[in-house]
Amino acid sequence: MNNIWQNIFKLRQKHIDEIDEILLHVPVFRDLNNRDLKTIKRILHQREYRTNEVIFSQGDVGLGMYIIVRGSVEIICNPGGHLLAELRDGDFFGELALLDESPRSATAVSKTPCALLCFFKPELLDLINRNPKLGGKILFRLAWTIGERLKSTNEQVRALCFQKKTQE
Amino acid sequence: MLSEKDTRMMSSEPVSDSANKFVRIVLFLIVALTVVAFLVAISHIVKLIIIAALLAYVLDPIASFLESRGMSRTTATISIFFLLLVIGSMSYVLLLPVLSEEIRALKDGFSSERAELVISQFENFLVSNLSFLGVKELHLLSRVQGITSRIGDWMFTHVLDAASIIVSIILIPFIVFFLMKDGRKFKKEFVSIVPNRYFEFSLYLIHKINMQVGNYLRGQVLDATIVGILATGALWLLGVKYFLLIGVFAGIANIIPYFGPITGATIAIIVSILQTGDFHLASYVIVAFIIIKLLDDTIILPVVMSKSVHISPLTVLLAIMIGGQLFGILGMLLSIPVAGFIKVIIHESVTNYRRYRIV
Repeated sequence: MNNIWQNIFKLRQKHIDEIDEILLHVPVFRDLNNRDLKTIKRILHQREYRTNEVIFSQGDVGLGMYIIVRGSVEIICNPGGHLLAELRDGDFFGELALLDESPRSATAVSKTPCALLCFFKPELLDLINRNPKLGGKILFRLAWTIGERLKSTNEQVRALCFQKKTQE
Repeated sequence: MLSEKDTRMMSSEPVSDSANKFVRIVLFLIVALTVVAFLVAISHIVKLIIIAALLAYVLDPIASFLESRGMSRTTATISIFFLLLVIGSMSYVLLLPVLSEEIRALKDGFSSERAELVISQFENFLVSNLSFLGVKELHLLSRVQGITSRIGDWMFTHVLDAASIIVSIILIPFIVFFLMKDGRKFKKEFVSIVPNRYFEFSLYLIHKINMQVGNYLRGQVLDATIVGILATGALWLLGVKYFLLIGVFAGIANIIPYFGPITGATIAIIVSILQTGDFHLASYVIVAFIIIKLLDDTIILPVVMSKSVHISPLTVLLAIMIGGQLFGILGMLLSIPVAGFIKVIIHESVTNYRRYRIV
């Protein structure tokens, strides 16, 4: 009997640890303590997607970011359906939508059955209202993440310019 | 070259598609009608839930503020209820005796000789000047006394009715408490049953409704409180009888656009005429209400309603009339938030229907 309870407890513990671990790998939630992680987990939405299911389409009003717990997601840019990226467990996408309501710049499609965690703007705004300290931490990490992405984009643009010059 | 079978298949596909769509629409209509019929059947409970939800909307920012000061959601909700209990008890002890006395006095009707004289003079004036319209006997005095008595009766049955108060006092705070404490959980549970295709859009809709209708409700409550205090203060300074009752009524009535402020002012003017027997006090009351209305329109409303949903004046009028026709005064009070709610849903759905493939 005790074994059954221990197993159930272990299963539950494993599930919680898996989400904690994934969240701690996402730059936006890095450096959060257990209490903050618990608060964040309470406001995240968990969704399951089948293979080839559209998560969001290019042009949709974006509301927040998605974190991949399990599975693989393709980011496709139209017109032409160019594959921009293939994301896997622990990766995240759509974080820009946390800051503005501009249309999604690409389409996200699940390549395999996926389990995603969703962190949306209304919950972030609510969190900033009722827990400004944690809200500030997340905003700071979000700004850092977007800054990193900007640096990486700059690098790519520079590389392309260099490539073009050498071709000339 | 296409075979006969292929051609048959190609021509039958759109037919089966449209048939499927038709079946889906019929099924949707049946489900929608069943839901509406069920809601009508339990309309009394629905009314209580709507009132509780609106109160929870209004109180939510206070709970969030207390949370930002380190309280848990449950403690914050309990603290708000404790504070409301203290305010309610103080109002019960201090204000209810005065209010019930004023309602009782209004219920007994007005029997001042001077008032009777003013009304008779006014009736004679109308009869002598409007005889060409066939106006003969108006019985104004008995009508005015009947109206004041009916208002008193209505207030006794609706405001001071013990049974409805007990049910509302127990049920509404109970629902408000759980909506405030577990509102986020309810929202999350609701969103979890929405299909993936509409998931983000439904959250977007809830976000927009929260922002616009929530701001409208909170703005209206704040506006009604300020107008109520101003009207009570002005009537008290002018020495109008039942100043507290009329002031509270003017504040609450102010929530109903157009009709509310006029109704509040009209009652104050009638009472002041009946009190003094001439138009001297009434003229001051008119000036006071015009000043309050100007202050409300130019300073208070632009500040408190800046971030709320905008509804055109025609829609407001129609919504109030429909609300009044269906649910009486409560319907008129709730009509604008409900209209705002419907407007946000329709506006966002129409704007985004192609993107989210709603239809």
